[in-house]
Amino acid sequence: MTEPNTPETVEVLTEDLLADPAAPEVPSNPRKSTSSSKSKLYIKRFLRNYSAVVGVVIFLLIALFSVFGQYLTPYGYEEVDFFNLQVPPGTEGHIFGTNGVGNDLFAGLAHGIQRSLVIGLAVSLVTTLIAAVVGSIAAYVGGIVERIILEVIHFLLVVPSFLILAMVSNSVGGDWRMLIVVLIIFGWMFYARVVWTTALSIREREFVSAARYMGLGPFTVVWRHIIPNIGSLLTIHFTLGVVSTIQGETGLSFLGFGVKQPDLSLGTLISDGMGTLYSAPWMFWIPAITLTLLTVSMAFIADGLRDALDPNSTAGGHA
Amino acid sequence: MIKYVLRRIAGWCFMIFLATNLTYFLANAFLKPRVNFQLRRPPLPDDQIDRLLDEHNLNDKIPIIERWWTWLTDIVTRWDWGTSVDGLVVNTEIANRMWVSAQLVLGATILSTVIGIALGVYTAARQYKWQDRIAQQTSVVTLNIPAPVMAAAVVAIAIAINEKVGSRIFFVAGAQSIGVQGFWPKLVDSLQHLVLPTVALTVIGYAGFHFLQRSLLLDNINADYVRTARAKGLPLSKAIRKHALRTSIIPVATTVAFQIPGIFTGAVITETIFAWEGIGRYFTTTIAKNDVHGAVAIAAFSALLTAIGAILSDVLIAALDPRVRVS
Repeated sequence: MTEPNTPETVEVLTEDLLADPAAPEVPSNPRKSTSSSKSKLYIKRFLRNYSAVVGVVIFLLIALFSVFGQYLTPYGYEEVDFFNLQVPPGTEGHIFGTNGVGNDLFAGLAHGIQRSLVIGLAVSLVTTLIAAVVGSIAAYVGGIVERIILEVIHFLLVVPSFLILAMVSNSVGGDWRMLIVVLIIFGWMFYARVVWTTALSIREREFVSAARYMGLGPFTVVWRHIIPNIGSLLTIHFTLGVVSTIQGETGLSFLGFGVKQPDLSLGTLISDGMGTLYSAPWMFWIPAITLTLLTVSMAFIADGLRDALDPNSTAGGHA
Repeated sequence: MIKYVLRRIAGWCFMIFLATNLTYFLANAFLKPRVNFQLRRPPLPDDQIDRLLDEHNLNDKIPIIERWWTWLTDIVTRWDWGTSVDGLVVNTEIANRMWVSAQLVLGATILSTVIGIALGVYTAARQYKWQDRIAQQTSVVTLNIPAPVMAAAVVAIAIAINEKVGSRIFFVAGAQSIGVQGFWPKLVDSLQHLVLPTVALTVIGYAGFHFLQRSLLLDNINADYVRTARAKGLPLSKAIRKHALRTSIIPVATTVAFQIPGIFTGAVITETIFAWEGIGRYFTTTIAKNDVHGAVAIAAFSALLTAIGAILSDVLIAALDPRVRVS
């Protein structure tokens, strides 16, 4: 499922081994050409998956909106417009309407997406990295280190992480930066276990033994030879990690334990909108639909990446 | 086999013990029951607050080790998990709420497993045909709908149906109505309450089983023994059911066991929206009200469920899969 012997990977690997370890920053020409043809192949396979392409388009639109949305409206997300309380979309320049205290939803939405997206991307990036390093080291080094790491992972999986997450992020008072730290601390274990199982089989491959016999230390072997070989797995994990982090963050914020007033994220917007589901339905449905589009589009991207990166996949023809 | 299971149970008990104690210290570090009293109007004098906190073994002026020891001995000797700052007994809270959540979680788990496996088998047999494609896309969408959005959508649809029909077919809040008498009316009433949250949980939950069953079955569907069965004249549907499905359903069964605790805590948002007073609601109240003992009890409860799920899945593997030998 991960990275079997495609001609491309083998080529890259042999070149990795042949490359002078003292001068890794000078890329040799043949390697460059293989990697670019490889990425061309990946892009070609990705573009064939229509839902993934649609996912990318939707995701980019949402991301652009989160960055530039604040410039398209005269109102700030913290501003209060006393003359327009709970007005429906399109009233006096409030493109998406306002809530009961007069906050502009358009500006709030742009800010909320930004918050949720930054949290999702940052947490997923760091957890994927930690999981890759810890999982591969456990698999490669083996012995007592492997047993200790696995026991710790096992233990952290038993600990009710959502409860502790809620407790800790509630007490740090809704600071999104602390929320990122907390989500990272309790987010890497499951992935690390998955990486560990995959890295176990890579450990047995010849190029890993070759690297070891050349005298490379465990960290170098893991970083240069094992992790690049689970790259496709990690890419997919990263994308799915963004989805699950956003789900977790909005869940926590929805319950009131995540991002808090005066800051806002998609979760707090939805939770506020829930209170006025019938008197001001737009306050709920606009952020709710945006959040759904965001998570679903990321999931479609992950799906397309899996088909593009997995050499065994025959979804939608051959390449 | 029995020896193996016993050893696993011992290991898990140790894990639960560690996890619960760790949560106790964390809960004491992050939840501040003193604040509950300090916010009272008119303000209470400090010594009175101390006395009230002492009553519940929650006074942060007493060293944590001492409080921990009292808490632990109470559990070990009398199975008393303590009280909240408001004087609610944790034991009765958990005992009552467990069954409320169980109604919800069990139904949703069974439904999503059955739907997921059925869909997985159906689509695997038609790989890359239009049925498979549509089911795949639908499942990606449903799997990634955030729980609050799903719950709200279900509520909106149910209210629309209620209005169309002109009577209350579905109830959108609570687990039961007050004042319903008799066995059958009670059953009908709880079903009317149960349908919506179960649907909300099932729609989100089935897709995981669909993907898992589909990919596992696809791994087996082209195996030699299935081809042999086909060559001997077995129709495809029967070959799948009798041969390929037999082997590929094992990992799914074990995942179900593993997912039970996740579903229990995953129902937090659903329970909040549908106002079910289950474990999930308790979870939010304990944290919002600085109820240290309640939060720790929930942690212990979910660790216990994880352990039961893990042991069940091990036993299932050993029982179902002839390739696995335990020694």
